[in-house]
Amino acid sequence: MIRGSYLMVFLLAFPRFAHAQPADAGVPDTPPPPAPPDPGAPPPSGAVAAPSLSPSASAPSTEEPPRITHQSPPIFPDVPKPRQKPTDVLVHVEVDAGGSPANPRVISQPNPPFDDLAIASVLSWTFEPAHSGGQPVASHLNVTVHFDPAAPGGETITVQGTLNALERGHQAAPSVGAQDVHVEAGKLATEIPHKDATELLGWAPGFLLTNEGGEGHAEQIFLRGFDAREGQDIEMRVNGDVVNQVGNLHGNGYADLHFIIPELVQALHVVEGPYDPRQGNFAVAGSADYELGLTRRGLTGSYEVGSYGTQRALLLWGSPTSNSHNFGGVELYQTSGFGQNRDARRATALGQLEDKLGEDGLWRLTSGAYITDYHSAGVVREDDYAAHRIGFLDTYDPDQGGAASRVFVLGDLEFQHEDTTTHHQLSFTAQTLRLREDFTGFLLDQQEAVQTPHGQRGDLIDLESDAITLQEQSWMRRHLDIAGLTQELELGLYGRLDATTGQQYRLFTLATPPYPYHKEADLSAVLGDVGLYAAANVKLAPWAALRGGVRADLFTYNVLDNCAVQSVAHPSPANPPGDASCLSQADMGRPREPVARSTTAGAIVLPRASLVLGPFFGLSPSVSIGRGVRSIDPSYISQDRATPFAQIGSYEGGLAYKGSPGDLDLELRLSGFRTHVDQDLVFSETVGRNTLANGTTRIGGALSGRLRGPWFDQNASVTMVRSTFDDTGLLIPYVPDVVVRSDSVVFSALPWQLGGQAPVATAGLGVTCVGPRALPFGERSDTIFTIDGSASLAWNRYRLGLKASNLLDTRYRLGEYNYRSDFRLQDATVPTLTVARHFTAGAPRIVVFQLEVTL
Amino acid sequence: MTRAIGLAVVAVFAGCGTTGGNLVSFDVVAQGAAPRAGVKAGVYDTSLGWHVELASATLYVGAVYLNQTRPNSGIQGTDCILPSVYTGEELDGRSVNVLSAAPQPFPAPGTGTDDEALTGEVWLTHGDVNAATDGRPIASITGIATQGAQVLPFSATIQIDSANRGIPSPPALPSLHPICKQRIVSPIFIDLRPHDGGTLVVTIDPSGWFDTVDFAKAPPDGVFPDDNTNDASAALFGAIRAATTTFQFSFE
Repeated sequence: MIRGSYLMVFLLAFPRFAHAQPADAGVPDTPPPPAPPDPGAPPPSGAVAAPSLSPSASAPSTEEPPRITHQSPPIFPDVPKPRQKPTDVLVHVEVDAGGSPANPRVISQPNPPFDDLAIASVLSWTFEPAHSGGQPVASHLNVTVHFDPAAPGGETITVQGTLNALERGHQAAPSVGAQDVHVEAGKLATEIPHKDATELLGWAPGFLLTNEGGEGHAEQIFLRGFDAREGQDIEMRVNGDVVNQVGNLHGNGYADLHFIIPELVQALHVVEGPYDPRQGNFAVAGSADYELGLTRRGLTGSYEVGSYGTQRALLLWGSPTSNSHNFGGVELYQTSGFGQNRDARRATALGQLEDKLGEDGLWRLTSGAYITDYHSAGVVREDDYAAHRIGFLDTYDPDQGGAASRVFVLGDLEFQHEDTTTHHQLSFTAQTLRLREDFTGFLLDQQEAVQTPHGQRGDLIDLESDAITLQEQSWMRRHLDIAGLTQELELGLYGRLDATTGQQYRLFTLATPPYPYHKEADLSAVLGDVGLYAAANVKLAPWAALRGGVRADLFTYNVLDNCAVQSVAHPSPANPPGDASCLSQADMGRPREPVARSTTAGAIVLPRASLVLGPFFGLSPSVSIGRGVRSIDPSYISQDRATPFAQIGSYEGGLAYKGSPGDLDLELRLSGFRTHVDQDLVFSETVGRNTLANGTTRIGGALSGRLRGPWFDQNASVTMVRSTFDDTGLLIPYVPDVVVRSDSVVFSALPWQLGGQAPVATAGLGVTCVGPRALPFGERSDTIFTIDGSASLAWNRYRLGLKASNLLDTRYRLGEYNYRSDFRLQDATVPTLTVARHFTAGAPRIVVFQLEVTL
Repeated sequence: MTRAIGLAVVAVFAGCGTTGGNLVSFDVVAQGAAPRAGVKAGVYDTSLGWHVELASATLYVGAVYLNQTRPNSGIQGTDCILPSVYTGEELDGRSVNVLSAAPQPFPAPGTGTDDEALTGEVWLTHGDVNAATDGRPIASITGIATQGAQVLPFSATIQIDSANRGIPSPPALPSLHPICKQRIVSPIFIDLRPHDGGTLVVTIDPSGWFDTVDFAKAPPDGVFPDDNTNDASAALFGAIRAATTTFQFSFE
């Protein structure tokens, strides 16, 4: 903890950043490496190695990183005079235990013919291999090849053919400013406890995750003043494939990321705000794209056992002869859960293959399967807890929980030829979701005149939402040389078709087992979305780029409400029969079926633009403006409704710094933003999800940074935002004003050896602080402050780890709500009908011991 | 200076502003209506010519609710509870001596929000408002009624069960007249806004309870039957549940 604090101070006060080299600052131009090595990953030999050589090298974990022993300058190519200027190409290269370079890949923006020459140049270099415990080991690193037209030429290099796609790596979109955050997983993924892949979002500024639904329920995400619930305001992607489930009855845009094994996340790309034309539906607060990969080659087996009967078995494998995008992984997890009714089980399988396709092509096939079953505790009323009528970690309704499944196949093709890159992606996803949630107890069951007399039968929601999704994406990016500057133009399309079904029932919870007594919704829908976009990266000057374009989407809705009629015009003892929910009737001889179909469509045009300047001594100012869209819940669709979506307008200003002072990598980002939504969504406890509300505005700012050095990795952010309703000026409830997150990792080889190798010790610390959140009726929630910690010892093929979430065992309320409920624990015999405070309990300290072997 | 700017920034973005409204806690008392000047408490002259002197009169108030809606004429829902409209509640009932104008506090404070309340409800029940049987009387009254030379000691004990006070519903609408409708006195028109630390005063005025009771139709022994089979008993039951004349709410 002390060391973590030291690192924070170090991060904020480090005085040398002004002298950083601008070559790799590259916030405007240099995309983040798509295949960063995991510094802690054992190379094929099984030894731990992760050298630090250049400013863009990965964080090391060996005591002796590789060194260049001979470096011949590259030949400057014969290019037009305007392009005869200093140029950098970033190359990822593996160095074997003999010091020979292998498998170089260009990971900066394509820039022929510099790329070919850079590859050839790096292959001609010689290295002193990395050493671990005095033994030479294989390693990998990023090097910057600098082309200087004024420098004397080196030896003549013959280029054999042209670079193929695999050697270039997948193409990343250019940064759109300071709010465009790309985080390599590295130590943050392995050393900070992450329960699931959603928690990795904490690497980017401003994210707060809560979960009242249980371990198999998607995390609720708050970002920059948005209550994005389970993803409805954030476009979630995995390898570019959109995860948000359109038409999910629990929340349109529901995005459950539990199917991602956290160890298979290689990088996370977050764009906060709708500023990139590539962002589609649900990119309201922003978008997040998980890049899957496994840098730890070989076969890794891991077993974790910990508090509350938690067990996790993990198998990961990746051929040492293939790159990080070839992998397989299986995860089995189960827990009894803390407190009452929080048990969970899940199994996940993820696999990916990638290889060359011809000289210029690259194919990739990703597939996965995920199943889970779990229970959840739900909310607890504060007055019941205070009166000792219920425990902090208890539940009112043990029937809460759910189950989910997902299978998907995702195929990618990418071709790079000369100045043009084309990419095609096709995916198929089938998923199911069952949720049982009880927010209000015995409150909502209305007595209708046509019903037989009943008391409150229970408000437990039983929801099932299934979907089959086909997605297709394609884009072509071309680099043009205009006025001596490399310009970039991309045209892309996005197509998606979802066939969804959803039913929601209320269960009679006093019965054993509970059974449905009322069907609230029964929808079948076919939902389409076709979007086109044009994105340009226009270099106005060597230090100024205008990035953006326009996107147009057409959303179509074909919704069949199978339960559109819930009453009859002329009730009689035989009509309706009993308490039936979805009623057909014969009204004066005219039959009426209980169904109603609605079709409608809406188109929207979304202009987006960013002006990115610099870098000036590593500093890159930027301004952005853009519009976003969130398609509307199919349950709100009516025939020919004109604009079935919510529109978002946002602008932002920011300042980014990227530099490499000494042997450190430093990134800092500062941004301020304003976002307006014309139809926002606010949580409603009566239906257990967000429902439509009025227009809202958010104004805020974020500061984040990451500092990596030879023995540490520090990532931290603070976000402040003010979120208000437009009509009243009142605060939006539940969203946090202030979110602070810090992840610190320190690592070093120990000063003694075992079997000729020095063990490597690592310690990690994650700190989360969330300021008091506005609650309905002028109240504020408690502050959340938690610390997660970890320690590990790696030697040879083995690794022992200890991870503790909520290290201080703080008793905190993860989610707090003010609304009406009646769980019948009050002393009174009459119902409580006014507003009361509710909370979902945060997890107590959970300690997990881990043993990991890599072969 | 820097620190001041920093604090200002935090104040603007964090911890500043409100979502509107407040949660409140307040005392609740019940009391009988103060007698008119010069008149003894519990002494009334009815419109049917009876002079009534009450010896005792207690009413059990099971709960008190405030809600923010006012029902529209002709649009009466069947359900006794509309979950989203309540702004205040007193859940711990008590027996109220309606002949005493002294404040009689409820056992626990009331809670709610500071939204404007337009309607009050008094729940005359000891338990589940939908239960067929309450099990205990909600009102006990004794007194003497006189008209000319006719002197009639009387007593009434009222319990609200489906069997004695329920109204049959037609077969097509089996829940048209649920028993909860008989136990909940509403709407009591009010216009008040609770605030933290205040006191909700429920005033119960029995002066009209016997206005339409013709004691001549009461049983000869003066013991009102606890059902609606007797006109005098039905009239008394209806008058006790008269929202506009029996109950007044105020907030101090």
